[in-house]
Amino acid sequence: MRAVLRWELADLRAHRAQAALMVLVTAVVAVSLILADALLVDATNPWQRIFKQSHGSHVWLHVRPGVNTSPLARLDGVTAVAGPYRTAPSTLVRSAEKVSLELRAVGPALPAVSRPLVQTGRWLTPSVTDGVVLESSLAHSVWAGVGDDVTVRSVDGTTHTLRVLGTADTADQGPYPDWTPGIGWVLPATLDRIEPDPARTQQAIGLRLADPAATDFTAQEAVNALGSAQVAEVSTWQQVRSAMDLGNRLLGLMLGVFGLVALLAAALAMAGGAGGRVLAQVQDIAMLKAVGFTPAQIVRLFLYEHTALAVAGFALGSAAASLLGPLLPGPLGQSMVLWQGQPDHLDAIVATGFGVVLSIGLATALPAWRAGRVPAVPTVRSDRPAGRMSRLARLALLLRLPPALVLGARDAFHRPLRASLTVSRLAIPVLMITVALGGWATLDGFQQHPQRVGLAAPLTARPTGLDDASAQRLLNRRPGVAAAYPGVEIQALVPGETTSITMRALGTSAHPYPFAVAEGRGIRDTDEAVAGQGALDLMHVSVGQWVRVMAGGTPHILHIVGRSIEPDHNGDMLSVNLDALEGPGGLPRPQYYALVLRPGANADAVRAGLTAASHGRLDVRPTADPADQLGPVRVVVVGLVAVLALIGLVELVTATSHALRDHTRDVGVLRAMGLTPRQIATVVVTGTGLLTLVAVVVGTGLGVVASDALINLQGRASGVGAGIAQTPSPWTLLLAGALAVAAAVCVCVVPARRAARAPVTSALSTF
Amino acid sequence: MRLALLALLAKEPAHGYELKQALEQTFGAAYPQPNIGQIYVTLGRLEQNGLIQGQDVSQSSRPNKRVYEITEAGRAALAGWFDEPTEGPRVRDDFFTKLALAPGTGAADRVALINKQRRHYLNIMRGLSRLAAAEDRDNRIAHLLIEGAMLHLQADLDWLERCQEELE
Amino acid sequence: MSRPGPSVAAVPPPDAMLWVKDLVKVHRAQGVPSHAVRHVDLQVDRGEFVAVMGPSGAGKSTLLHLLGGLDRPDSGEIWLDGRRVDGLPESRWAVLRRRSVGFVFQFSNLVANMTAADNVELPALLAGIPPRQARARREELFAELGIEDKAGSTPAGLAGGEQQRVALARALVNEPGLLLADEPTGSLDSRNTRDVLRLLSRFHERGQTIVLVTHDARVASTADRVISLFDGEIADDTAVGPPSGTSNGVADVLRLES
Repeated sequence: MRAVLRWELADLRAHRAQAALMVLVTAVVAVSLILADALLVDATNPWQRIFKQSHGSHVWLHVRPGVNTSPLARLDGVTAVAGPYRTAPSTLVRSAEKVSLELRAVGPALPAVSRPLVQTGRWLTPSVTDGVVLESSLAHSVWAGVGDDVTVRSVDGTTHTLRVLGTADTADQGPYPDWTPGIGWVLPATLDRIEPDPARTQQAIGLRLADPAATDFTAQEAVNALGSAQVAEVSTWQQVRSAMDLGNRLLGLMLGVFGLVALLAAALAMAGGAGGRVLAQVQDIAMLKAVGFTPAQIVRLFLYEHTALAVAGFALGSAAASLLGPLLPGPLGQSMVLWQGQPDHLDAIVATGFGVVLSIGLATALPAWRAGRVPAVPTVRSDRPAGRMSRLARLALLLRLPPALVLGARDAFHRPLRASLTVSRLAIPVLMITVALGGWATLDGFQQHPQRVGLAAPLTARPTGLDDASAQRLLNRRPGVAAAYPGVEIQALVPGETTSITMRALGTSAHPYPFAVAEGRGIRDTDEAVAGQGALDLMHVSVGQWVRVMAGGTPHILHIVGRSIEPDHNGDMLSVNLDALEGPGGLPRPQYYALVLRPGANADAVRAGLTAASHGRLDVRPTADPADQLGPVRVVVVGLVAVLALIGLVELVTATSHALRDHTRDVGVLRAMGLTPRQIATVVVTGTGLLTLVAVVVGTGLGVVASDALINLQGRASGVGAGIAQTPSPWTLLLAGALAVAAAVCVCVVPARRAARAPVTSALSTF
Repeated sequence: MRLALLALLAKEPAHGYELKQALEQTFGAAYPQPNIGQIYVTLGRLEQNGLIQGQDVSQSSRPNKRVYEITEAGRAALAGWFDEPTEGPRVRDDFFTKLALAPGTGAADRVALINKQRRHYLNIMRGLSRLAAAEDRDNRIAHLLIEGAMLHLQADLDWLERCQEELE
Repeated sequence: MSRPGPSVAAVPPPDAMLWVKDLVKVHRAQGVPSHAVRHVDLQVDRGEFVAVMGPSGAGKSTLLHLLGGLDRPDSGEIWLDGRRVDGLPESRWAVLRRRSVGFVFQFSNLVANMTAADNVELPALLAGIPPRQARARREELFAELGIEDKAGSTPAGLAGGEQQRVALARALVNEPGLLLADEPTGSLDSRNTRDVLRLLSRFHERGQTIVLVTHDARVASTADRVISLFDGEIADDTAVGPPSGTSNGVADVLRLES
């Protein structure tokens, strides 16, 4: 209706700043939700695409050489088998990089099941006898491209030069370096040449199933069919998918949670702002009713206004996301590009927009309904503050506190219901900001105290062509190295389980490795182990129980004495002393050494020094630090804090206008009582400032608790393990709280001063 | 009217008819005109008391007119009048007496009395409004006089309201 | 319990603009009920100008709000221009008010965010009048009321008298059958009061039915008829006419003695 439109335009013009703020906040919410959409849609996740295109296998097994694998093809539900392919472990050398590589012998014809998808170059051809096709993520890691020559060193130390014929994508395993070793496909003849000893090879077999849901069962059957002593490793498509999608999924979930949290806060802020506006405009609304607006029209008035703002904000945000999203670096940009190619991505945007506008509409429904109920005859609110002064106030006066402060304090709290509503509304952004700060602090914890999150050793050294004694000597002699722990990593099968877990034997009982134990205690005996959350979940055991695992063909019975924080491999890590693997031949030969450095030692310097001292026969590399991948998380945290601060500001403005409206009535009275304008302004500012202080205290307190709970929950769910959460430092919280109260005072001061100086007559006549 | 005439003569000497005209101009139609006879009588009394002095002036084709002039004594009396604050009770008509004594007489009902008086006041008020509308806009004195009367009427009506509230 | 005044028929007569029978409204403030309007009977004919006087708290404003549908009576009948309106729901009343009732309040109550012109055109647009026509009507009214040059100002930029004139224009923009005014000159000085009264009289002469509430006798005497309300009941209902007998102007009130 035209009349409604006139009113709304005038209203928006009068509250330009607030309206713009709400549009901005809604736009930010829209951007984050749309980006989350793009990241969470299956179609843009790499695994889905690759698996479909390559006819991937649902189960991959690595078995000992010589084992008859034909029973697998006859298992229930297996529609096709990939392989068996002979595999051999090796090391790929490229400039200074050394990576562990699994060579897989595949005939010149591309297989039907689990077909590697050639991305660059070409597939193997019989005419090139020393050709290799590298898996894409591996090639990317070592900067190897088509036509490059790479050196491959076999287990016994001999080197071979292979030419990279092409790179290919596969859904057989997760991306390098999350999943080691990387894959390189070679012709069978090439493999024979590089690794002539069959005993050092394995067989890799892939099973494609009719029903993906039966994967676990079929994997179990497969292990049973072959005998668990024969099976070295089992992996399922779910593991591969989560490894491939982890980055996207994590980022997508974070953005999604961010968007939803921001939407909630924004909706609350809008509702608060709307409620405040209704109160401020009670006279106007009564007049509208007198002029002939029906209550329904008035409700619609408010709803339309806020819905229009929400729609405008969403349109702005989605335009920004659609135009600028594809330009973002990393997985964000890629997903946006892919997603925009989908036919139904517009539907998703519309659906998201619908959700956002609906949420905001619902949030403003209550204030709008109340607006409709405003009586056409505005009654003067006769709730003067209670005449009696509280004991606290009297005490304050006794202590000779300035009367303005006392009045301000009393005004703020004399209506407990209103005060608690304001406090809770202000506390919510504070709570959310505290949780965000907790996330930041946890990341800091990862970086500053890596040993607490299971990253005690920043460097790993692998001896290549160097015997243990010399290696140990070199390592222990290096000045920066505090200790070098020998270690072996092998795959272990848990009977009754369908997937293998990694068993890490690190340190000796004489010299135990400092695992980051969150629950229970460290390893003291040979038959004791600590496990990551992921491993505990996988084995369905808890701390204190015994498990039987099959590793390297021998069974081990281990007592789980503690839970360790394992940031790698989804926490599927079982850790024991090296002594546990002691066999007839003595301790196993260490595959690597975990180096713990002295405090203050520079990792790069130590690394360079060791490489030089060992003449390249010690391969020293930094340990993969998952915190590095969490860079985007920091950006998201900053964004979240900024938006929440913005929302908090909106809430402050609402609270301030509430307070001022209350006080405008009293200003004349206060002036008559003899308070100077400055004192009157102090009264108002004190009131709002105190409410903000209480909100900050409450919000921070609850926020610290919530932050710990949420982060530990996330840690537990992702397998890393609970116990990683760090609370933000007290100084940070103090600073944030002080900033909030200062902001409240600033927002309050100018309008308060203006109200205090308003001519007394106007102050007294407006009610 | 005595001192009003003195004040007029203090400005400049004048004869009776001029004084009548001056008085009319001062209050306009708002206040009833004094008739010439009353003026002459008052002038005579003033002269008797030595506050003014008259002098006959011959005119060519008309009877002599007597021009009056204020004396020193007159000026002194005038000064005295201006100096003192005007005192004296507001004259209340006998309405209130009526109101107070009505019950018991069997002759009148208080509420009816009040209503009748109110009607009367409202009618007067209406008349005053008409007067104000008709009066020359620049005659501020006249307008102030009318406004003064209206304010008194308002006060009377307010008092009537109070009486009705209290005596019901 | 009716008081002296014109007798009220059982059914509203045809040219009664406003017909009220046995109207009752009870206020409940802080648990103590107080009768604001008690068994009021009233008839206002087309073209009449009625003033309602009484001490504060007598229920004058409440009565006016009831007549305009801003408040609902507890019992009684209200007939507006031949149709019964006391039981109407709020939304129906709102629609009725658009074209049939104009309100003027003591503190003009203009919408602060909108210009004077917008304020006046709002009811017209609400009633479905096309914008061009609304604007023409508004310009006509502004010229009549002497505020053409204030069309673009917001209420904050207008003096009290001008604000009240804008409020009057807003009330009259849809040519309502009934104009209700609650102390329209209550916050104005005497000059502005005179102007507003003159305007009211002018509209009354053109046939506008006016019911106004006031405590100012001067305002009341402009009306044809003055109703006195005491404690929620009508105590007196009298026509105002020229004073009986000869009028001596101010001398009827004051006697100048010097």
